[in-house]
Amino acid sequence: MRAIIFAFIENILSIKVRCDSMVFSSLTFLFIFLPITLLLYFISPRKIKNIVLLIGSLIFYAWGEPVYILLMIFSSVVDYTHGILIEKHRDNDKKARLIVLSSAIINLSLLAFFKYSDFLIENINYLFNTSLATLNLPLPIGISFYTFQTMSYTIDVYRKEAPIQKSPIALATYVTLFPQLIAGPIVRYQTVADQINNRIETSDKFAEGVKRFVIGLGKKVLIANNIGMLWSEIQGINISDLTVLTAWLGIIAFSFQIYFDFSGYSDMAIGLGKMFGFDFLENFNYPYISQSISEFWRRWHMSLGTWFKDYVYIPLGGNRVSKIKVYRNLFIIWFITGLWHGASWNFVVWGLYFGVIIAIEKAGLLKLLENLWKPIRHIYVVFILSISWVFFVFDDISIGLSYLKIMFGFNNTGFFDTHFLYYLCNYIILLIISIICSTPYIKNKHSLLLESINEKHRLFYENIIITVICFGILFFSTAYLVDATYNPFLYFRF
Amino acid sequence: MAKKSNKIIIIMFILFLLSINVLNIITSDRKFSEFENRMLAQFPSFKIKYITSGRFTSKFEEYVTDQFAFRDFWVSIKSDIERVTLKTKNHGIFFGKDGYLLEDYNKPNKCLDENISSINSFSEKLPNVTAYLLIAPNSVKIYEDKLPLFASPYNQLETIQYVKENLDENIDFVEVYDILNSKKDEYIYFKTDHHWTMRGAYYAYQVLSNYLGVESYKTNNFDTDIVSDEFYGTFYSRANNTHIAPDSIEVFYPKSNVKYEVNYFDNNKATDTLYEVKYLDKKDKYSFFLDGNHALMTIKTNVKNNKKIAIFKDSYAHCFIPFLTNHYEEIHVIDLRYYNLSVYEYMEEHDIGEALFLYNVTTFSADENIKKLK
Repeated sequence: MRAIIFAFIENILSIKVRCDSMVFSSLTFLFIFLPITLLLYFISPRKIKNIVLLIGSLIFYAWGEPVYILLMIFSSVVDYTHGILIEKHRDNDKKARLIVLSSAIINLSLLAFFKYSDFLIENINYLFNTSLATLNLPLPIGISFYTFQTMSYTIDVYRKEAPIQKSPIALATYVTLFPQLIAGPIVRYQTVADQINNRIETSDKFAEGVKRFVIGLGKKVLIANNIGMLWSEIQGINISDLTVLTAWLGIIAFSFQIYFDFSGYSDMAIGLGKMFGFDFLENFNYPYISQSISEFWRRWHMSLGTWFKDYVYIPLGGNRVSKIKVYRNLFIIWFITGLWHGASWNFVVWGLYFGVIIAIEKAGLLKLLENLWKPIRHIYVVFILSISWVFFVFDDISIGLSYLKIMFGFNNTGFFDTHFLYYLCNYIILLIISIICSTPYIKNKHSLLLESINEKHRLFYENIIITVICFGILFFSTAYLVDATYNPFLYFRF
Repeated sequence: MAKKSNKIIIIMFILFLLSINVLNIITSDRKFSEFENRMLAQFPSFKIKYITSGRFTSKFEEYVTDQFAFRDFWVSIKSDIERVTLKTKNHGIFFGKDGYLLEDYNKPNKCLDENISSINSFSEKLPNVTAYLLIAPNSVKIYEDKLPLFASPYNQLETIQYVKENLDENIDFVEVYDILNSKKDEYIYFKTDHHWTMRGAYYAYQVLSNYLGVESYKTNNFDTDIVSDEFYGTFYSRANNTHIAPDSIEVFYPKSNVKYEVNYFDNNKATDTLYEVKYLDKKDKYSFFLDGNHALMTIKTNVKNNKKIAIFKDSYAHCFIPFLTNHYEEIHVIDLRYYNLSVYEYMEEHDIGEALFLYNVTTFSADENIKKLK
C-alpha cells in the first residue's frame, strides 16, 4: 500500500496553477491605471469615493480575464446577502450557523471548482484508471486570496467581531479592493470594517503609501525578477549536469526570488492601501532572520497564518485539546496550508514538511535550539527552508527529489564547476543586496540616523536623500520594466 | 499640517508619473524600431469581441511598452546597470574582452539528432547526389579566450565532433574549425553580430574547395573593399550596450569578370548583382549579401561548365556563396525555413548533382526546419 501511495504521489503530473503577481509591476498599471484612479478618487466627493474605488477595482480585475468579473460580483452579492441573513437570524444560533456554513460552502466551492477541479479529476483518473477530461479553466487571478477574505466577512459578522455592512457598495468595495485583490495580504474584514465606511486620506499617509509602494516595486522589479533569472538559468540546466554548489546557489536564488516577489507585492498593496486611506496589517516581518521554523511562520505571510489560526486551528481546539488532537490539528492546518499554495501534491508535501518540523520543534527541539549559538540556529533555519523550497518549486515531486539528491552530494558531477563560479561572480552583488535587504539592517540604520542627527541634517535627509532614493528606485524599475518586454527581432537565426 | 518631506515625496511621485505620461503622449508612435529591428505594436482596435476575450488588454499592454517614450534610452540604462553590478551577460550575450560580444551556447538537445538524421535521410533518398555538410563554429568558440571570467558555454567542438560521428559516410563532412582557429587574429567574425565575416567565409571556402574538387581562388584573385564601418549587428541589439564599437563590413570581389543572373523567387525579383547596396544605410547591413533571407534564389553565372549545386543553408551562407559563383554555372539556394515545397522534386526537376548544407553550430543545434528533409 505504501509503495502504491508513494508511486501515486511521485507520478501525478501536476497542473500548473500558481498565483502570478505581475500586475502592479507593469507599465500599464504604473503609468496609466494608477494615475487615473488616484485622480478620479481624489476629485470625487466623499460619498462616491467607494464607488470610484469599486469601479476601478472591477476594471483592474477585468483587465486580465474580463469574464471573471462576474465571479467578483457574484461573490459580493453572496456575502452581502449572507451578512444580512445572519443579522436577521441573530437570535437563532442554529440558523445563523447554517448561514455561515452556507457562505463558507459557496466560497470554498468557487475555489474548489476553479482551482482544484482539474487536480481532483487527474487524481481520480490515476486512482481508478478512468479518463475523465480535465476542464482546463484559466485560474481566476487571486481567487485563493479573495475567497478567504470574503469568508472572513460572514464569520466575523457571525462572531460579532465586526458590524454588519448595510451598504452593498461598501461591501463590494471590500471584496474587490484592488490593492490586495491579487496577492494579498489577506485582509480580514474585522481589520478594515471601520475604514470601509470612514477613512481619512491625509498627505502624510499618502506619502507613507508612496514610499511603501516604491520599496515594494523595487523589491519586485529590481531584486526578485533579477535574482529569479539566476534561478531560471540554473533550473534550465539538465539536472544530471548540476554540481552540489550550483544546486544550492539555485535554491538560494529561488528563496530570495519568492521572498522579494511576494513581500514586494505585499508592500505595494499596503502602500496603495495607504494612498487610499486604508491601513492593512503587515504581511512579512523579515522572515529570513528567524531562529526557528516556528518563528519563520510567524514572520512569513502573516495574514494567511492568522487566517488559518483564527478560522480553522482555534475552532478545531488549537492546542488546548488532547495531545493526539493537537497533532491532528497540526496535520490539518499544514495539509491545507500546502494545498492552498497550489493544486498539486508537491505543495501538500511542502506544507506537511513544515508541519512535521514544527511538531518536532514543539516536542523539544525549540528548547534545544535556544541553547545554541545564534549563527547555528540561523544555519538550521536556512537549511530547512532551502529544502522546503525545493518541494515548493518543482511541481513534479520526483524531479524535486533528484534535485535534493544533488544538493546532498549524491551525484557524480562534482562539488562545483566553472558554471558555479561564473554564476557566483555575476550575481555576487545582487546576492549581497538580497541578503542585506532581507534583514532589518537598513530599517534600523534609518531609524538610528533619524534619532541621532540634528534638525538641519534631519531635514536634508528626509527632504532630499529619501526623495532621491525613491526617485532612483522608480527610475531604475522603469528601465527594467521597459527592458522586460525588450524583444529584438534578430532577422531570424538563418 | 503635513510634513514638508512628505509633500516633496508626493510631488516627486506625481511629477514622475505625469511627466512620463506627457512624454508618452507627445512622442508620436513609431512603426518600426531600428534599434531592435522589428515592427512595434500599434494601438489595438477597439472591438467588443476583443474586449470580452481579453485580447484587447494584452494588445494594449504590448502597445504601451512598445511605444514607451525613449524606449531605447531605458533599455540601455538597464544594460548599464547590469554591467555596473558585474553582470557579464545581457539577453544571452556575453560582454567579452576587446569589444567582443559573444553568444552563449548551451548543450544541444534532441533537435540536433533530428537534424543529423534528416541530412542522412537526404543522402539515402538521393544516393546519386554528392552531399557536403559544412558546420561553421560560432565566434563564441573561436574567441573563447575573450569570454568573461569563468564563463563556460558548451564546447562547440564536441557538437561538431558529434555531428561528424553520426553523419552518414556518404556525406562529406567539411571541417573548418582548424583553419578558422588558426586565422583568429584576422577579422573573421563580427564582434557585434552573430555572423562570420566574408574573410571568415573565405577561409572556409578554401577548405571546401578541396572537397568540391575545384581550384580555389587565392586572396590575390580578389579586390577587397570596406563597404561600411558602422555595422551594429544582432549581438549589439541584444546586449544593448551603447559603449560598444561598431563592426566594419569587408567584401571580396573577384578580379575575373564573372557575370550573374540572380533570381529571388519569393518576391519575383531579378538582378545582376550579389550585393544590395541599399542595406548599407539601414540597420540590417548584413543583408547587403544576397538580399538577406529568401525561400529560394538562384544564381546563374557565365562560368559555362554545366555544374549545378544546391545549397541548404542559414544566413552564414550569404557572404559565402559569392565565392562559389566562380565555380558553378547554377547555384540554387534554398532556405528550409521558408521553402515548403518538396526539396526532392526540386532537385530532380533541375537535375542538380551536388548539395551543400551550410549551417553554423548554433542554428544547426536548434533549427526546427531541417527536418523538412525527412
